[in-house]
Amino acid sequence: MPTTRRDFLKTSVLASSLLFVPSFLHALDRQGLKDLRDARGRRLVVVQLGGGNDGLNTVIPYRNDLYYKARPTLGIRETSGILALDKDLGFNPAMTRLKGLYDQGQLAVLNSVGYPNPDRSHFRSMDIWQSGSASDQYLSTGWLGRYLDSNCPSCPTAYNGLEVDDTLSLAMKGDLRKGLALKNPDRFHQLTQNQFIKQVSRQQPAGTLSELDYLYKTLAETSSSADYLHQTSKVYKSAVAYPNSEFGRNLKTTAELINSGVGSRVFYVSLTGFDTHVRQQEQQGKLLGDLSDVLGSFAEDLQKAGNFDDTLVLVFSEFGRRVSQNASNGTDHGTANNVLLLGGGLKQRGILNNAPDLQNLLDGDLRHQLDFRSLYATVLHDWLEADDKAILGNQFERLKGLV
Amino acid sequence: MTTTQQQLQHLYWRAGFGPRPEDVAAGLTPRKALRQMLRDSEKVELLDSPQMRYTEPLAQFQPVVPAAGKPQSDMVTTPDQTAMSAGMEAPVAALPARSALAGPQKGRPQPPLLRRQDMSAQQRKMQNQSIQQAFYAMNTGWLARMANSPAQLREKLTFFWHGHFACRVRRPDAALHLNNTIRQLALGKFSDLLLAVSKEPAMLQFLNNQQNRKQRPNENFAREVMELFTMGRGNYSETDVKEAARAFTGWGYNAQGEFVFRENQHDDGSKTFLGRTGNFTGEQVLAIILEQPRTAEFIATKLYRFFVNDTPNPAHIQPLAQAFFKSGYDISALLEQMFTAEWFYEPANVGTRIKSPVELLAGIKRTMGLQLVDDKPLIVFQKALGQTLFQPPNVAGWPGGRNWIDSSSLLYRLQLPSVLLKNAEFNVALKQDENDIAPNLTKAERTFQQQVKTTVKLAPVQALLAKTPAPQQSAELSRFVLQAPIRPENRALIQQAADKAPAEGRLRTMVTSLLSLPEYQLM
Repeated sequence: MPTTRRDFLKTSVLASSLLFVPSFLHALDRQGLKDLRDARGRRLVVVQLGGGNDGLNTVIPYRNDLYYKARPTLGIRETSGILALDKDLGFNPAMTRLKGLYDQGQLAVLNSVGYPNPDRSHFRSMDIWQSGSASDQYLSTGWLGRYLDSNCPSCPTAYNGLEVDDTLSLAMKGDLRKGLALKNPDRFHQLTQNQFIKQVSRQQPAGTLSELDYLYKTLAETSSSADYLHQTSKVYKSAVAYPNSEFGRNLKTTAELINSGVGSRVFYVSLTGFDTHVRQQEQQGKLLGDLSDVLGSFAEDLQKAGNFDDTLVLVFSEFGRRVSQNASNGTDHGTANNVLLLGGGLKQRGILNNAPDLQNLLDGDLRHQLDFRSLYATVLHDWLEADDKAILGNQFERLKGLV
Repeated sequence: MTTTQQQLQHLYWRAGFGPRPEDVAAGLTPRKALRQMLRDSEKVELLDSPQMRYTEPLAQFQPVVPAAGKPQSDMVTTPDQTAMSAGMEAPVAALPARSALAGPQKGRPQPPLLRRQDMSAQQRKMQNQSIQQAFYAMNTGWLARMANSPAQLREKLTFFWHGHFACRVRRPDAALHLNNTIRQLALGKFSDLLLAVSKEPAMLQFLNNQQNRKQRPNENFAREVMELFTMGRGNYSETDVKEAARAFTGWGYNAQGEFVFRENQHDDGSKTFLGRTGNFTGEQVLAIILEQPRTAEFIATKLYRFFVNDTPNPAHIQPLAQAFFKSGYDISALLEQMFTAEWFYEPANVGTRIKSPVELLAGIKRTMGLQLVDDKPLIVFQKALGQTLFQPPNVAGWPGGRNWIDSSSLLYRLQLPSVLLKNAEFNVALKQDENDIAPNLTKAERTFQQQVKTTVKLAPVQALLAKTPAPQQSAELSRFVLQAPIRPENRALIQQAADKAPAEGRLRTMVTSLLSLPEYQLM
């Protein structure tokens, strides 16, 4: 899409001109945007699977001979406990709890999600997914960061978007607003309690547009967000058992924040290790088991507190793997991949589109049948009630009646 | 109004990596200091050390001839799609595919190159480690150079062009070669620099020109060279991109890492490019691009935004661009014009630019004579703060400015001085490896949680304060350390900290506090 490269942000979305809007107008904005900003209390949790998860061994086309032909030893046999879904697809045997959610109508699978001219570099493809760009387009902001920009540029709340990690992903960086990264509210609060930083962060920005004021403003917001999150997150302590893994701890933190009533719209969590070139079976099985068990606990936690209906979980990876296995019982970098959606508010559930087409490959890789930006547009517009076109810089066809 | 000392410091921060106490003590006028800097940068010292030398032969650097529709980007940073043969030094000496390098052997079929996907986990790991070690040595070696080299202007320009001609490759040797080519030409003619960079294997690989053939043109390089390296968008059409791509067909590199022109893959037919028609070669297309005044404007604007102010001022830039064009793209002349302009020293341009993570680190190293017992944490800091040398986010380079700052990166910045000067612990879990080298690192492998052993040279700083009575020392020190005026509340804070500290730790305490201020993030 060469005509839309990069410059669209400068012209169409919320460029820095918003900074020059007098503050009383911001106040009006706030009133007018209240519903939009709150999206009726709904929130999005993005789960990033880093390293390129093998989608074909996650949602397995176990009745397709081509699958077993391409993967004579790596193909998972029905007899090893595939958890049957619809359309001749089944979950990896490790995904029992996600199968449970599927059966309850709280999970949906989208097959072959990708983009034209796919890039096989982990870094670049993740960059594309996180920024929401085309493969020949370079954006310095992320799709959720631009959502934060659009949804409330003047909100003094960095915690509108939270990433459960030590550093912030591109996905969460906007032009005007950025999400906040924290491993857990207590540790983050401690950082801001350093005597010196605390004293400096109490100082008010002078109210100009200078870089110095930007720094003081960011610091003050960081500090007040840390206070708020520290205080608020005490309200709810999870009684649900989570797997004792890093991902488990991060999702537990996320659930505690949500169930405590923290007013964040977007959460971002990662699970890494999916780069399975060698001896894939064991490694991926372990990871998918962790993913499934943790998301199962997370769903249970939110259900108990009555928050699952307002929560949409989107699970993606930067690419899938090649259809054929390699010589080391692993798979190499591929292209299109499945995306999982979880939540109590899904209007459509089950397998939402055709199973991957193993007949009609492009150089041994799956062709995408759905552009990931169509999915983003749907989530932004129908779930978060935001202006998907402004945020994505283009109108992507939305999936009707999904959420 | 800015004082002469501030102006001098301003020049050292912008044209180099910050002032040393002795620079301020010497007290040259900015004009003389600039002349000195230009002289000190005349010599070219290449970045090199045994640790930076990655010696795996470039044979596998050569892409497999792409089958129809083969993805074009797979040579870039995608180790796993890349045919990798063995032959690195020690770690891979035992790999079975060494014979692939021994040349054809009569009567015996050649074993296939050992491809990365065919390596054992152990072999991959060893290869990753030696790649990583080379990149680490290049990174920290360059950072030391920024802090210590007298050729400040050359290193600063190398850093600027490093972000301009942003390139991300898996091969450390290709990345280092590009870096040294840039270093050599950083202060010369932009036309020479552009041509040389365009012929670098790293760039040819990164932007897929190795795959640009008469039968199957690849437009990637042709597009980016116009959009990002020379004219900017809106000054050429899609047809120009296609025609330029044809002119660059046949540009590639060989197994020795040398530029080669593959005549049989070059489309020598007639092209129409930017309104001109001829059987253009790649060199001629670059020359036509340089004939556009727009190119001079684009480069002058980018230099202005980097060296002067993130908000371009056309009244300042127009004369720069015109002179740049007239001079035949003389970079040094443009810099001299910029650094001697009155507006360069105006308060609006002093202490108003957010330092990049590398500028922040190099600045502390230079100004305070900081050294680490082990340099590895310098890489951790860069990653935590969001800028790692040799790993730009994409071909557009680092966006810079406010983009550097978010809640967590700001908190890391403010903690850093206590880590470097006061033995505080630095604690971070980094994200997955950024160069596709090892995307499967465990959390333990990605986590850094320790104190950092360092030394600093505070004696020259002390000397700078020798004539100042104790009560005024914090103010005097802040004028040296900070380019933005210190807030009165902060001056009180520093004074308080100093008063509480024991006499022998007083200076260190004051310095640490000043470096921990939001003001110090600016230059």
